[in-house]
Amino acid sequence: MILITGGAAQGKQKFAMEYLGLTKIVDGSDCDFSEIKNIECITNYHTIVKRLINENINAVEFTKKFCMENQNAAVIICEVGSGIVPIEKNEREWREIVGRCGCIIAERSDTVIRMICGIPTVIKGELL
Amino acid sequence: MTTLITGGSKCGKSRYAERILDNYLGNKLYIATMKPYGKEAYIAIERHRKMRDGKGFVTVEKYTDIHEIPLTDNCAVILECIGNLCANEMFCDNKIIDPTEKIVNGVYRLSCIAKKMVIVTNQVGSDGIYYSEGTAKYIHILGEINQRISEFSDNVIECVYGIPILQKGVLL
Repeated sequence: MILITGGAAQGKQKFAMEYLGLTKIVDGSDCDFSEIKNIECITNYHTIVKRLINENINAVEFTKKFCMENQNAAVIICEVGSGIVPIEKNEREWREIVGRCGCIIAERSDTVIRMICGIPTVIKGELL
Repeated sequence: MTTLITGGSKCGKSRYAERILDNYLGNKLYIATMKPYGKEAYIAIERHRKMRDGKGFVTVEKYTDIHEIPLTDNCAVILECIGNLCANEMFCDNKIIDPTEKIVNGVYRLSCIAKKMVIVTNQVGSDGIYYSEGTAKYIHILGEINQRISEFSDNVIECVYGIPILQKGVLL
C-alpha cells in the first residue's frame, strides 16, 4: 500500500496521477463502500470515514479490513488534526477516527508521502 | 534566486525571510500585502516594522496588483504574504474571483527581475474544518497558488516554530 497525505490543496491527487501514474481514482465522498476492495486508488479517505460514521459503520474495523483485502491500494487522506479540537462532538469524533484510520493505513503501507506546496516528502519507506 | 517560505501562523517565517537577506548589499524592498484594517492588523504591522528596523528595507505597501511594482535589476525583495494578497484579490466588491493566474504571473515577473526574491506564504488547510463556500474556495486557491510558485522557486522552506525544514533546493 501507499499513503499520500498533507493538508488540503497541496497537490496530493496530482502526485498520484502524474508521478505514480494512477488513472482510476475513486472518491471517498461518493464511492460505494463495497467497491473499494478492488480499487487502484481512493482519494478523500477522510470523507469516506465521515460517511461510515454517519451510517453507523465502525470506520476503524472497515479500514483494517480494507487494508487486508486491498494490499496494493494507494490512499489519499487529508491531514485534518492540526487545528483546535472542535466543540461539536460529531466533529471531534470524526477527527479522532480519521487520525486512527490514517495510522492504520500508514502502518500497513510500504511508502508514506507527505505533500506540501506540491512537493512530496517520503516519510516512510521509499518511492520505487 | 527565488525562495518560497511557508508554514502555519506565527511560525517564524518572516524572521527567516529577513535573515536570508541579512548580508545582501544592494537595495532591499519589502512588499507588504496586508491591509491595515482594524486594531489587530495595526499591531501585527507595527511588530513587523520593528523587526525590520535598521535592516535597510524600503517598505512598499501593495494590497493587490503586485505585478505593477517597479523593480531595479539589482534589488532583493521580500513579498509578504501570499495569503493576504490572495484574500485581497479574491474578495472584493461582494464577489469572489479566482486570482490564481494573476498572482502567479505577478510573482513570477518580480522573481525574474529581482536578484533575490523571497516569498512568504501560509499553510491554511490542515485543520480538518469544513468551512463555508467562500472560505473553502480560498483554502483551495491558496493551495494551488502555493504549488505553482513552488514549481518555479529554487528553494522551498517550511518553518516550524522557527526551525527551517527544507522541502526543495537548499537551506539558506
